Parts: sequence; C-alpha cells; structure tokens
Amino acid sequence: MRRWGTLLGAAITIVAVLLALVGPAIAPFDPLEQDLLALNGPPGPAHWLGTDHIGRDVFARLVSGARTTLAIAVAGTMGAFLVGAVLGSIALALGRIPERIVFAGIDLVRAMPAVLLALLMIAAMGAGAVPVAIALALSFAPFFALTARAVYQRETAQPYVAAARTFGGGKLHILRLHLAPNLAGALVTQAGIVLPRCIVTESVLSFLGLGSSPDSPTWGRMVSDASPFMEAAPHAILAPVLALVLVTLGFVLLGDALRLRLDPLRRSGSAR
Amino acid sequence: MRAVHAANRLAVMITQGAALVVLIFVLNRVVPGDTVDVLALQGDLTPAQQAEMRRELGLDRSSAAQFIDWSARALAGDLGQSLRFGRPVADMVAQAIPTTLALAAGSFIVGLALALGLAIGAAMTGSRALAACVDAVNLWSIAIPTFCAGVVGILLFSIWLGWLPVIGSFVLPVLILGIDNAGQIVKPLHEELREASAAAHVRTARAKGLPPWRIAVFHLLPTAAPVTLALSGLVLTSLVAGTLTLEVLFGLPGLGSLTLNAVRGRDYPVLQAAAVVIALGLVLINGLADLLNRLIDPRLEQ
Amino acid sequence: MTSTPPLLRVERLSITGPSGRLVDNVSLCVGHGRTLALIGESGSGKSLTALSLMGLLPPALSVEPGARVALEAQALPITDERAMRAVRGRRIAMVFQDPMACLNPYLTIGFQIDEALMAAGERTRDRRRERRDALLGDVELSPALARRYPHELSGGQQQRVMTAIALAGEPKLLVADEPTSALDATIAAEVIGLLRRLQAERRMAMLFITHDLGVASALAHDIAVMKSGAIVEHGAAATILAHPAQPYTQRLVSARQALARGARHAGHAEGEDAPAATVSNLTVDYPGRGWFDRPVRAVDAVSLSVPAGRTLGIVGESGSGKSTLAGVVAGLRRPSSGDVQLLGTSLAATGWRFPPATRRACQIIFQNPAGALNPRLTVASLLAEPLGLAGLPRRERRERAVAAVEEVGLKPAHLDRYPHELSGGQRQRVCIARALLSQPRVLVCDEVVSALDMTVQVDVLTLLRDLQERRRFAMLFIGHDLDVVGWISDEVAVMHKGAVVEIGPAKQVLGAPTHPYTRRLLASRTHPSPSDSRADGSTA
Repeated sequence: MRRWGTLLGAAITIVAVLLALVGPAIAPFDPLEQDLLALNGPPGPAHWLGTDHIGRDVFARLVSGARTTLAIAVAGTMGAFLVGAVLGSIALALGRIPERIVFAGIDLVRAMPAVLLALLMIAAMGAGAVPVAIALALSFAPFFALTARAVYQRETAQPYVAAARTFGGGKLHILRLHLAPNLAGALVTQAGIVLPRCIVTESVLSFLGLGSSPDSPTWGRMVSDASPFMEAAPHAILAPVLALVLVTLGFVLLGDALRLRLDPLRRSGSAR
Repeated sequence: MRAVHAANRLAVMITQGAALVVLIFVLNRVVPGDTVDVLALQGDLTPAQQAEMRRELGLDRSSAAQFIDWSARALAGDLGQSLRFGRPVADMVAQAIPTTLALAAGSFIVGLALALGLAIGAAMTGSRALAACVDAVNLWSIAIPTFCAGVVGILLFSIWLGWLPVIGSFVLPVLILGIDNAGQIVKPLHEELREASAAAHVRTARAKGLPPWRIAVFHLLPTAAPVTLALSGLVLTSLVAGTLTLEVLFGLPGLGSLTLNAVRGRDYPVLQAAAVVIALGLVLINGLADLLNRLIDPRLEQ
Repeated sequence: MTSTPPLLRVERLSITGPSGRLVDNVSLCVGHGRTLALIGESGSGKSLTALSLMGLLPPALSVEPGARVALEAQALPITDERAMRAVRGRRIAMVFQDPMACLNPYLTIGFQIDEALMAAGERTRDRRRERRDALLGDVELSPALARRYPHELSGGQQQRVMTAIALAGEPKLLVADEPTSALDATIAAEVIGLLRRLQAERRMAMLFITHDLGVASALAHDIAVMKSGAIVEHGAAATILAHPAQPYTQRLVSARQALARGARHAGHAEGEDAPAATVSNLTVDYPGRGWFDRPVRAVDAVSLSVPAGRTLGIVGESGSGKSTLAGVVAGLRRPSSGDVQLLGTSLAATGWRFPPATRRACQIIFQNPAGALNPRLTVASLLAEPLGLAGLPRRERRERAVAAVEEVGLKPAHLDRYPHELSGGQRQRVCIARALLSQPRVLVCDEVVSALDMTVQVDVLTLLRDLQERRRFAMLFIGHDLDVVGWISDEVAVMHKGAVVEIGPAKQVLGAPTHPYTRRLLASRTHPSPSDSRADGSTA
C-alpha cells in the first residue's frame, strides 16, 4: 500500500516537472494566442484539452501554468528554508536571547494565516510573482524554524551530547557529529511537507486574482477565469482543477515517503 | 495557580495582537502613494486640493502619529470611511461578520464532529477500513484546495444534478470546509487516541473490569481533548483561506469578500479594518482555546 | 505444604509474540492466603505472566493453546475478553508499577475508586461512599483525599490509592507487578508493610512480581525464579534463600548478599594528597516556569571533597539533589553560587569554563547507557570521538579503542556493533571505556548501575573498583541504593532535599549513623535473609 503511494507520487511528480520544463516547447499553441473561432471549444484533435472562453488553448496554458506555479512554489519553499532553518539555526547557536527574539517573531508569523499575509504583501508591493513568493517564504518559515528547534532541543538534551562536552567537544563538533545528520533529515522532510502547501497557497492566491499577472497564467488563475463559464465549458475549469489536485497529491505522497525514510521516529507531518 | 497561567496567556495574547495590528498598519503604509493619490486618480484633484485633503485626513503627519490616531478612533468604534463606497467602514465590517461567522462556525462544528467520530471509531474498533478513512480525509485536506473542491461541488451538485443553487447557499461551502477542517484534526487525533489505548491508566481501567463504553468515555476521551483544542486553533487559522475563497466562489458577502474587494480596489481603510478584525479574532480564539485546554487538565494548574 | 487445593493453579502457560516465545511452559501455584514471589531480571517474562492471568496482554502477544489456569478450582478463561471482564476486579485484581501513570490524571481519586466499586457491584451511591472511605482508611489514607487529583499525591500515596482500587472488589488473589520498584526506599518499605498487613487481614493470596530478592524475602512464603521465560527453581522462600539449588538462583542470591555483606575494604592509606575535587558552599536553583513562578532550590549550600585516588559516595532519594550536584562537578551545569575546585583549578574563577587540560580530566558516566551513546554510531566511532577531540591521529585510534574495550571486559568484535545490539551491561562498559580514554583524574558516576540487573550490577561495580585501583582516579559515586554505594565507597555523604545531612567514612555512616534520615534509609533496606522470610507459614 505504501509502495503504491510512493510510486504514484514519484510518477506524478516526474511528469509534472517534465511538463513544466519541456511542455511550453511541445505545446502546439501559444498560451496567449486567441482563436476567436473556437470559443469554449471542447477537447479535440486540434486543441487537446479544448479552448477557454476567449479561445486560448487550454493545454498550452496548463503546461505554461505548471512552470509558473512550480517555480513560485519552489522559490517559496527555498525562501522559507532560508528564513526559517538558517535564521532559526543561527539564533539557536547564538544563545538564549537571540533565540527568544527570533522565535517570538516566528510565533507571531504563525498566528497570521498565509493568505492574509500574502494579501497584505500584495497590497504593499503590488500583484506579481515576487510578493507571492515572499509571502510564501514568510508564512512557511515557521515550519522549518520549529523543526530546527525541535531537533536542536531533542539532541542537546541527550546525554551523549553532554558526554561530548566532557571530551572537550565544542559547539562545532557537536553540530557536525550529532546535530547535522538529524537536522538534515528533518529539514528535507519538512521541505517535502512545505512544497505542496506552497503550491496550494499560490493557487488560492491566483484564484483570488492576486497572483501573477494575467499574462503568465497559473492554474489558480485559470480556474478563476473559467469559473463564470463553468456550465458551458466544464473542460476549461476541470483541467486546471484536476492538474492542481493531482500534482499536489503527487508531491504529498512523495513527501510522505521521504518522511518515512528519513525520520521514522516522528509522528505524522508538520511542525505546526 | 490558574491565575498565573491566565496572566501569562493574556500577556502573550495582548502582545501578539498589538504586534499584528502594527504589522498590518505598516504593510498598508509601505506602498508609495496613499489614499489621496488613489482618490486623485479617480477624480481630478489639484495639488492644492490634495494637500488640503491630506491635512484633513491627517495624512501629512508621521506614521506613528497616524497609527495612534487610527487606534484611538478604532477603539472608539470609528474605523474610517470606505474610499470606494463612502460608507463607514465599521458598518461594512459589522454587516460582513455574521456571514463569515456562520460559515466558520458551521464548518468548524461539522469538521469536529466528523473528526471525532472517525478518530474514536477507528481507535476503538481497530478497523483497518476506518483507519484508511482517517488517512484519506487527512490526504484530502492537504492535497485538495478548498476552491477546487468548491468548483467540483458546484459542477456536480448545482449544475449537473441541480440539487443546490449556485450562489448564496451555505450547504456546500460548510460541507467542504468541514471536511477540510476534519482532515487537519483527524490524523493526529487518531494517533493520540491509539497511544492512549495502550496507556497505563487505560490498562488500570480495564483491570477494574469496567465495560468498554465507560473506558472510552471516561478514560480515552479526556486524552483527546487537549489535542483537539490545540489543533482547533490551527484549524481556525487555516479557515481564513478557506472562507475567503469559498465566499468568493459561492458569492457570500462575508469578511473575506470584503477584504478581497478592498485589496483589488485599493480601499485601504476597509482593508486595514478587515485585516485587523480577522487577525485579532484569530488571536482571541487561539488564546481562548489555550485557556480552555488549561482549564480541563488539572495537572496544568501547578 | 497444605493438602487443600491451591487458590491459583497455572499449568503449561506459554506466551508468544512477534519475536518468538516470551514465556515458556510456566507452571506455578499460589496457596490460599499465601504469597508467591515471582522473581526474575528484565526480560524474564515475569510481568507478562502476571498480565496474562488478568487477560491484559498487549494486543501483539497471545497465549498459546494448551495452557490451563484455574482459580479456586474453576477454569479461568484468560483468553476470553468478555468473560474476563466479570472476573477482573472481583476475583483477581492487579496493582502496577508506576502509580502516577496508572491513574487517570483527569479524574479525582474518589471517582476512580468509586468506579471500581461500581464494577464490583455496589449499586447505591451511599453504600459506595461508605465503602470508599473504608477502603481509604484501610490503606492508611484520609478520606478527605477523595477530592484530590492523582498528581497532587506523592508516589507512596498514589500506590496506596491503587491498592484501594484493587481491593474494591474484595478479590481472592492480588497480583502486584513490581509495585515498589518506582518508589523511594523509605516509601517502598511502608508500602510493603501495608501489603503484608492487608493480606493478613483479608486472608488474600498474593502473586508478587519483583526483581529484588530483599523485597521478596520480606513478603513471600514461596518463591519461583524465572529466567528467559521459564521457571528455573521454585519452593519455600526460606529454602530458596538459604540453599539455592540452581546456579542462576545462586548467582542472584550471592549478588545481593555480596552487596549487603560488607562495606568496602579500607585498602588505602589515609590520603595525604590534596583532594581531587572540592565543592564549596554550592547552591543550584532552577528557575520557575513562566514569568511569575518562584525558583526551586535543588542543591543547598553543599560542601564536600573527593579525596585523590579514593571514592566518595553520595546517597539520596529522588529530589535530593545528588544528580544536580554531579552535573555541576562534571562541568555540565552552572551553579547559582559557590565554587568547585577541580585539580587545583577554581571553576568559579574561570567563569565555569574549563581550561582544556582540566576539561578532559573530569569524566562522567550516566545512568542510562542507551541515552549516553549516539544510536547512529558504532562502538568504534563512539570511542573515536574523545580520541579525535584529544588530537590523536586517525590511524592510532583503532588500536587505542581495542585496548579500551578489552580493559572493560569486552571483545574487539564489539567495536563494530551498534549500541542497540548490545546488552545494558555491555553498553555501560562501553561508556566506562569511553570515559577512561580521556585519562580522567576524577570520574563521576551518576547512578551507573541503577538501570542494570542485579547480577550485572555486581560485575560493573567490581570492574569500576578494579579500574580505580589500577589507574588511581578519584571517584564520585552517586546512587540511591545504600548497599551499592556503601560497597564501593571509602566515604559516604547522605543527601536529603538538597543538603548533606551526614558525611563520614563508609563503615561509620552505614554502621552507626547519627542523623535520623540516615537511620530511616538504613531501616528501609530489604535484605534477602532467610530469617526475615515467612516460610514458616506465619501470616504476620
């Protein structure tokens, strides 16, 4: 059962990444090109997934959206890692007071829902990929920071770390020998949890019209564009919906498999 | 020492609330150009008129002064005027709150009932089918964004089956959000209950010869409470995104729609007020959940 | 033995789990009104045997068909859950090891006793209240405690409540699974006394599980010894303790007696050298939680010194501050005030930062060897850690590691194993070897044998003593067991609630104590002497 899930997850992820990288090259149409003679056209040999309400090829928009969505999600995850794991680790290494300050800030961000934060960032910086990525990085930084802290606290409480100090081991030695292996595993696991959530949050923001510009469509945007025409052209809205669900599912399954391999002692998922 | 913990918690809540309000205020002010610029674009205003307006609205003063100004007025109940509609923001917010509250509360209750029922059933019977359901619901909430479920729901129930109206009905959004909420609680809850079944005090209860229902209610269930309460706070935080998108999708006039339209229309006073209300609401509820948690567990009194 | 049939008869009981057979063909019987002590070390299967009699085995384990269990000549359906529900609490009751965990933290103890009474068939509330108060009186607790929650009670009180719960249904057989192992010595002695009295008053039979021969001898009429799932020897308590027949039983008895027998031989001349470590007026406070709580004083103005090349033992119960003190001396914790002089260097003067030379000269060994060894590293890597930090080049490390493990009685083959592949005793030897690699002048031992089986304890203690004779380091030996500490120490200090109440040569402190607390500690020791036992059939 577990193996099926992992295989499925891996398969979907690979397909998605491939499409994102290569898709726009192989799609027969430009995502912005409008064929005014084929508005809301159903899937067929010319337009593989049909056309939307202003004649754009759904397949082309789908693969181009894949690229944008994944790019933003990856950027958000990496940003969250930088802010959360790196900043958090530095704070932990520096001592009690920096730790308290940084983690009080983390708690504050945690109290703020990601979408609200993004809304405010966009209000401040305008719509676009960058504010969204920043908002994602800030919102999900707590996942990484709290994981880093949990591992740090768990390991430093171990008698074998105390023993290392009696041999003359300094912070660097303890980090290298005892902390790093556990930390690496836990953080990679968290990345596997955060990435799908970034994809979802980004798509919610696009759906609300706050994501990237209308010219570089993301799946959420496609859903929102197609929603007034749901009845007439269900394919135009179902395509991005299914793409979103499948790709997110794929990453979640993969992330789960990663967690089982790297961190089998911990319980389900997130640091939240 | 309940009083000590309450004091601790209150201090944390107030700090968080204040910090959030400041954060929102700052973010609103970061954008170059302010209310008057927006208005200037809408209707032609001469520079002299703009300066006059700024003086009137107090925008020529420092940010700190503006913040104090705004806070003072907000505490008195005056949240300013909407730039787009000219109506008092406080009214708009007050009108929007009931809808959002109904949606949030309704879906929370549905989610809680579903999660508790599923988790307890799975833990007590040990049924693999129920355990699979727990995993499935959990997966649902992670992998399926609420608006996607909403779209499919509308397609299925409103358009193809015609059972529900497309706009304005609460049934579908409450159900969808409910399942989403349940998914966030159910898996940790299930694990907690499963561990509790093996716990020493449950073994004592069995050793007394008690019937299974009594063991479940008096010895298993209390373990579920702290976890549920802790998770509930998080569920509420994530509910914000859910209510926002579903209000838009299903055309419900709540705080979510209000906030969104404010962002689109650069209606800062409304955005400021709505964001603050949402943020403070969350801080309050999280704080209450934590307090409730401490009330229930007699050990935490020490 | 009497000719009436026994109250409990067990025949051919075997329990299997995923890893194989855990209990192998066990047969035993308990006579009316008599106590059978089931003795064994960890992994012997004694607890599982007890749990199976109540039908409370964990789900992964099962009783093999073919077992016959009879209570009062009636078959006991231990594999039938529904049938056992009627039996539990009424005909057999059980008391467990860790009373705090065994009580529901959310319910008052009155409620929990009430539940047991309800299950035992008392229908009316008034009647239950009467009986509840009577039960609390029986276990020497005030009825007013009924309104309290478990965490408000001490360990001893909690165990008394557990006993009251067990007695609610007036069972014929009480199964007690290590009820005193988690309690301090003085409290344990009281609980044992309580159980003796209750058994006599109610003419109850008792199946008492324990690893401690001393405890068994205080309570048992008969003894059965278990090892690796099988019964090795059984018979009257007096006989077994005086003349154990089987080699394993002999080892158990002699191990315990060796510890009880004598304090450490005074082999060393009175030291003229400066003490290796001196503690002056040391105080350690733990901060309270949150912003408003008061600090807790763990160590209160303690002064003592560890003579060079000799052993100072510290004895205390839980909460006495002895482990905190050990942590400060080993340089792992900062005190709130006071000083520690280590090999001539004052630590307070250096801001509690060890100069590198002194840092390695003071080593510590912990109670839990599994926690002290990183589970991801092999023994070789674990030993290489201090060597690497001391600057030893890589190629020499293996040689030194081999020498180190051989010195503690292990084989070079153990170097390539992981900690979880070793036994508890072997792990502790690895910890000792690792500590010795730093050539310490002071070795702090914090409850190093408390987690080990009795037979292994003696081996490890002997090893430590031999190593000290050879290498001449000073030792600070912390423990809660007077016999253990007395055996290995030249001088003994007794700690209570953070302060040293008595200190002096081991023979004097253990033979002629002056402080009342020390006397209480001594009195609560249990020795496996045949004359203490109840083999004569007396139920007094």
